[in-house]
Amino acid sequence: MYSPVKSVAIMNSNAPLSKANAKDALDIALIFGSYEQSVSLYFQGDGVYQLIAHQQPEKVQQKDFLKTFAALAFYDIENIFICHDSLIQRGLADNFSIENVQVLNRNEYAISLHQHQTILRF
Amino acid sequence: MKKLAFVITTAPSSNLTATAINMITAALKNRIEVVGVFFYQSAVLNGCEHLAIPNDEYQTHKQWQQLHNDFNLPLHLCATAAEKHGLSDDINEQKITNINKAFTLSGLGELVELNVKADRLIQL
Repeated sequence: MYSPVKSVAIMNSNAPLSKANAKDALDIALIFGSYEQSVSLYFQGDGVYQLIAHQQPEKVQQKDFLKTFAALAFYDIENIFICHDSLIQRGLADNFSIENVQVLNRNEYAISLHQHQTILRF
Repeated sequence: MKKLAFVITTAPSSNLTATAINMITAALKNRIEVVGVFFYQSAVLNGCEHLAIPNDEYQTHKQWQQLHNDFNLPLHLCATAAEKHGLSDDINEQKITNINKAFTLSGLGELVELNVKADRLIQL
């Protein structure tokens, strides 16, 4: 017997346009969301660049998948966490492309991440 | 007995793919149920029919086919990722495929199912 819903954390640690990881992670988040699984998104390291506002992916021949972040709320994905230390290290302000991003310090981030039954990393 | 599912994200040339094969083989030989393997990102290349890896290298793709034949292990290729990497079961009017028959094209929903069915989902 198994429970039909599991908590899933999707951990992003790569910059949005250097590899396909960011897009592939977002696709997974939306599918798990549409199957009504409990999904949380985590951003750390260079992954924090994914949430920075006003990016222009078309300048490097990429489709603007970043605008899809705005759809997360429609899939009931409301737990979005970003690592404060990673922002500080990169000199980035808390100016994100979407609302409801929760900035956590390193300890809070780690504790929150490890509360999930499944962790996928991209 | 606990059940496992696997997500593979690395190409046939990656050592992590070989590690995944070792883990899955060990699990199956110890009668641990593996509910399925989901191939995502560059890992879909593991399902390519026409790979010719040099003879002195590890024959990753053949190991997957062997696991499928020996243990009836379900091998799911993410359909979107496969398409993006040039794999198709419908290349032209003659329905030519470049996907090995041990693999099944599946949607991302299959990954959700595997995650729910398994006690643990392991990503490599």
